[in-house]
Formats: sequence, structure tokens, C-alpha cells
Amino acid sequence: MSQELQSGLLLLGVGGGGCHLAASVLASYGDGMRALGVDTDALSNRQASSGGLNCLLLGGARLAGHGTGGDAIKGRLVAQDDMQNLVPHLQGVRTVVLTACLGAGTGGGAAPEIIKALHDMGIATICFVTLPFGFEGESRRKAAERVLPMIEENADSMVVIALDDLFGDADAVLLDEAIQKAEGVIAAGITMVWRLVSKPGFIQMDAERLHAMILRGGNARFGYARSEGVNRATEVAAALRGCRLLRSGDALAKSNALLLGILAGPDLRLAEIGEIMGKVRSMCKAECDIEMGTVLDAQFDGRVELVVMTFESWAAATQVETRKEAAPLPEPPVAEDFPIQSGSKRTRSKGSKLSFGATGRGKFQNVEPTIYNGQDLDIPTFVRRGIQLDR
Amino acid sequence: MAIPPIAALEIGTSRTVICVGESDENGRMRITGVGTYPSTGVRKGQITDLSQASVGVESAAKQAEKQADVSIWQVLLAISGGHIQAAVNTGMATIRSGDRVVSKEDIEEVTENAQTVQIEADRQVLHTITQSYMVDDQPGIVKPEGMRCKVLTLNVMAVHGMKNRIDNAVSVAKNVQLEVTDVAFSGICAALAVLTPEQKRNGVVLVDLGGGTTNYIAYCNNVISAVGCIAVGGDHVTNDIALAFNIPLNRAEEIKRAEGCAVIDSETSGKRVVLSADVGFEERLISCKALHTVINSRMDETFRVLRSKLDEAGVLPHLGGGVILTGGGAYLRKVADLAQRVFGLPCRIGLPVNVDGLGAVEQPAALSTAVGLVLYGKMTYEDRRLLSPFWNRVKGVFGR
Repeated sequence: MSQELQSGLLLLGVGGGGCHLAASVLASYGDGMRALGVDTDALSNRQASSGGLNCLLLGGARLAGHGTGGDAIKGRLVAQDDMQNLVPHLQGVRTVVLTACLGAGTGGGAAPEIIKALHDMGIATICFVTLPFGFEGESRRKAAERVLPMIEENADSMVVIALDDLFGDADAVLLDEAIQKAEGVIAAGITMVWRLVSKPGFIQMDAERLHAMILRGGNARFGYARSEGVNRATEVAAALRGCRLLRSGDALAKSNALLLGILAGPDLRLAEIGEIMGKVRSMCKAECDIEMGTVLDAQFDGRVELVVMTFESWAAATQVETRKEAAPLPEPPVAEDFPIQSGSKRTRSKGSKLSFGATGRGKFQNVEPTIYNGQDLDIPTFVRRGIQLDR
Repeated sequence: MAIPPIAALEIGTSRTVICVGESDENGRMRITGVGTYPSTGVRKGQITDLSQASVGVESAAKQAEKQADVSIWQVLLAISGGHIQAAVNTGMATIRSGDRVVSKEDIEEVTENAQTVQIEADRQVLHTITQSYMVDDQPGIVKPEGMRCKVLTLNVMAVHGMKNRIDNAVSVAKNVQLEVTDVAFSGICAALAVLTPEQKRNGVVLVDLGGGTTNYIAYCNNVISAVGCIAVGGDHVTNDIALAFNIPLNRAEEIKRAEGCAVIDSETSGKRVVLSADVGFEERLISCKALHTVINSRMDETFRVLRSKLDEAGVLPHLGGGVILTGGGAYLRKVADLAQRVFGLPCRIGLPVNVDGLGAVEQPAALSTAVGLVLYGKMTYEDRRLLSPFWNRVKGVFGR
């Protein structure tokens, strides 16, 4: 079995923008990445396929490959219609890295439905979603912002990237450059996740650690910096502090957990790692939980790139746990006939892992059951769906 | 002819309601009395304890009598529960006249044939609803009289339920000396109270979120195209909360009403609510996010079950008027937002707009079924033949 299959990671691009991003990631990573694009527009699908991305057409019956025309409701409906077509591509997948550009029909409509379906199947999701440029108009921005809570509801970790934040001085940037830079930065972040898991490095991050981090992640921020030359370690740390995506260091200062990837060539020195880590640590809170990994690749020779993901909501869980530990509650008995769907391999555990005895039928103990598609609807839905609650 | 006051009884899972309605000079119904009492002995819309359920009916009747200043001795009864089913039945008639013109007699013959529904012996037909005629192979005919054809076909929707369960509900009323003059399916009643003719023309689905059941009725092109009941309701939400947080049902109901939300609200994700101490119950802090997750998963599932039922009936593409939510469950915060997401259709809360006199009532959508039953009583009294009850005719008269 290849390393990609073993890692259980899948890159999933949703919608035109999402597929384009996925194709860019695939191009910058090279062969061996397990990736899939889903879109309602056959033309856009063909373009992404020519870049080597395996593409799936959504809503062929309803939209005949013409796209949603910006209608998010159509996007949602076609995702519900064609979800079963996606299932064969998810064999052996434990974590999905999803990319989507919000504001339009497929990204905004199908993405929340797909994330929900993945959640119900017990697959962890980390979503990289972009908000449109300001000049694209108020209606697109609002459409994108409406979708965010729907994604947040079921995604395990979510990275929201406002495209406007990628550029410090918009006047000086050419349109073509701007688009390429946006793609490049996001692709670098996603590629980092893959490289950390699958490429050899000084400190390698295994898929399990990544999976666990994503499950506890919540809302994340993403930042990127690069530098080359003699003082590259000092400069790259300073560039990271100035990164607009991290609110010029504010996100680092507030984060409770940090995933840091150092990408460099074989010329990376131990002292440089020490310097980078020391500077990053000084930007964060003392109790911030930092997970780091390095990737050594000949194509990065002479330069250093840092990619970070900061998780602010991380500590909420630990605080709850501390509070619970201070005043432990008696654990109620757990019924043995606790039917959890076979698909629920994972429990949703952004919060504490205290287990309560939510079992059985309660009030409906001696009442004729309501059976639908083989499921007893009198048993709480959250139990049947295998959702663990934040308490 | 003036219509006497009409009393409608709904023995719901969470509460028993009696509404009294009278017709004003313009023929519009006005609700003059409402009596409600928390139900006991009812689970998922069906009677589990006759004597306990009778207590609720008696108390609600007294309250309604006092408010409307009538003495109630006859009522119409709303029926709900998972046993309610609907099926389309087809009747045919050959046009025998030489000129092949459809006459009144032909229509009566085809109606009679269509209303002869083959169901199991233990089931009882509640309604046979005319859908549309077909003259030879031309479908969608509303009035076939005078048209030329060889064969006239009529589709009717038969709504039926378990005879014993309907009789049990009737017995509850009988226990408190109330004569049941007619029974009707709750979903149809709610539609009479809430939906406007324009919505029915555009295509609409009405979802009545009750305590123990969720009833639905879909109209496409002014014709009832799907009717049914899922035995899941607000009680299931309460039960899920009680089991999730290991708290008594009454406290679960309290917290559902005060802090419940159908979507997982990011604004309140870090918030915790206090469940105050009571006898034998210590003060507890409950995470809003966990509470909303429990409610969201249940409501999401209910709407998805409903969606698949409407999909099976083939009505989903014809619902231009969207989804209307009514019943007590419609007051759950952001439930319309969730329904909109699941159905992908515009969604809003529907109040009983086809009657007057509910201005002072708190949460009028919770009375949609009982109010609609009053309208049903008026309709059958006037014998308009829009819905023809199979079992009984309204005799509903009260002595003041």
C-alpha cells in the first residue's frame, strides 16, 4: 500500500475555485497525492482534469453540467442528490482536507452538505475556505458569510482566508499576480500538511497526530512566510510576525495551539530551527501547545518557508476539562444495548471527553418504536449519529 | 343559514386543546373560546391511558365553555399518529352516452368507484380527497363535465388509520360525555387554518411540528399531493436533551424552551446556561453548544426524513410556495433556518390566518390544528364537498 493510502488523507476540491486550488496543490506537490475535485460545471471540471486532478461531476441529472449559476441552493441540492457517487472515493479515508471558494453556487452550496455527510460518515475534515475579494461585491461577501456557520457546524477544523488579507498594498499588485499569489499561498499551506505527514524530515509528523489535532482544532488561522539568504531564520520569523493572515502577529499571541511546518532544503541547520522556534515561541503565550514538523526537500535549497496554523479555541476544551476535574460528576450508568451506526468511526470531540450515559429510549421505553430505514427514531439522534457532546 | 358554534378537540401529546368557533355575519369563523390543558396518557399522538387523557379533555372543555359561553356536548376530533397513511386510489368509468359527453351521472359513478378504497379490515378511511380527473389520456382536468371522451378516470387520495386507535381517541371524549360527530386528520386541519389559496396554487408543504408527531401535507397546483405523519415530534427533542444531560424531562423541556435553538449557533458556542437547583437536583451548568447540537441533530433528521418522503411522492420540484412550519415546534428558535437549509426552499412560520379571534393568544401556531378543525366542521356543515368525510357528517349543534 502506498504511503498516501496509509495516511488516509484525501484532498477534496469543491466547486470551480476549490478544484482549481486542489489542482494547484497537486501541481506543487507532485505525484502520489490522493486528490479529488467535485464541481457542477463540466467545462471547469475538464480544465481541472487536464491538470491531473481526478474530477467528479455533481448534479449531472439536475444541471446537465452547466453549473449552478451562482445559486447556492442548487449547489446544496445536487450535493444531496449525488452524495452516493462520492462514497466510493472515500474508501480508507480518515481525514479530508477540503478546499472551497465561498460566495458562489457550488462552493457555497455543496461544500456544507459534503462536510456534513463526511462528518456523519465519521471522517475528520479540515476546511480551507476563501472569502471573496472586496471588489467582487457585497452580495458575494454576504453569501459567503452566510455559509460559514453551516461549515463550522460540521467541520472539525476550519481555516478561513479572506483574499483581501493576502495583499498588503493592493494598488501595487497586478491582477494576474494577485490571483497567483493567493493560490500559491493557500496551496503552500495545504501542501505543508501533506509534506509533514508523508515526506521525510528532521521531525516528522505522523498522520495520527495530525488527525488528533484536526479533531480538536475548531476555527484556525493560517499564515505563511518565506525567506532566503544568510539571515533567513531571523528574517522568516519576522516575516511571519508581519503576516496579514495572522493579523500581524495578533493571532499568534492569542492562539492556544500551533501547528508549525518548516520547509527547507538539506542545508537547514539545527541552530536555524532553534532560532526559528525560539522566536515563534516568544510570539505566543507560554502555555501555547506547539506541534512542529520539518520537511527537507532539495527544491527548497537556500531558502526557508514557514507555514503555521493557529488554533484559538483549543484551550476551551482543556479549560472545561480542568473545571470538570475540579468537581467531578458521578458518571451515570451506560446501557449495554447502545446502538451506534457502524459508520461512526469517530466521535466529535472538540470539547472534553467526559462520557455521559445518554442511552436507550428514555420516555419512549415501552412505546411502539418509530422505525425508519431500519433505524429506531426513538433513540436520540446524536447517539445514533455518534456525536460526542462538548460539555 | 347561520352555523351553530363548532367545538374542535385535539388530544395532543403535550397538551389537549378545545377551540370553539362561531361564524360572523360575513361567514368568516371567529374563535370565541380556547381551552388547553397539559396532556397525560398520550404518547406520539396515540392514547396510552384512557382515564388520564380524559382528565385533560374535561379540564380543557370546562375552560373553553367558560370562555365561549356555550355548553359543549358535541365535538369534532383531530386524529394523528404514526398509523396514519395515505394512498392514491384510481376509479374509472366508461362514458356510455352516444355523443361521449361527460355527464353529472358519469362523474358520480367515477367518484363512487374511486372512493371504494381497498384497505385492510382493521383500518378506517378518514378522508377521500379528489385530486384530478383524466379524460381518456389527457390528465390534469379539474372539471370534466361537458367534455368528450370514452373513459373518465379520477384519482383520489385516501387517508386512513388504524380503526382501534381512532376508536380509543373517540372513547376518551365519550368518557367525559362528549359526543364525537366527526374525525379528521390533524395535518389536513392545520392546512385549512394556515394555508392561503395562493400558496396552494403555487405549491407548498405545510409541516405541523407537534409534540409527539410531525404531520405534513403538500399541495401542488391546488391539489393535495402528499399527506402523512412521522411519529417524531417535540417530545423527542425533550427526551434527547434529558438523556444527553441526564436531567429530568420537565427540566429538559424548560431548558429547551428557554435556550433551545435548531442550529448550532456560533454566537453562543462558549456560553453555558445554569439549570437552577430543585428538590433532589443540584444546580448544573450546561453548554449551549452541546444543547444546540442535540436539538440540531434531531430536527435535522426529522426534516431529512420528511424530505425523503416528499421526494418519494415526487412533489419536491413543485413546491414554489416553499415550506410553512406550524404547530408548537415552530417556535423553536431558528427552526425555519434549518428547514430552509434541508429543503433548499424558502421557509417560514405559518399562523392560523383563516380565522379571527386569536389576537390575544400567545403562540397561535400551536393552535393551528384545533382552529383548522373548526374550519373543517364549518366546511362539512355547509357540505361544500371539498373534502368528503367518509365516516360521519357534522351534526354539531350546541345549546347555549
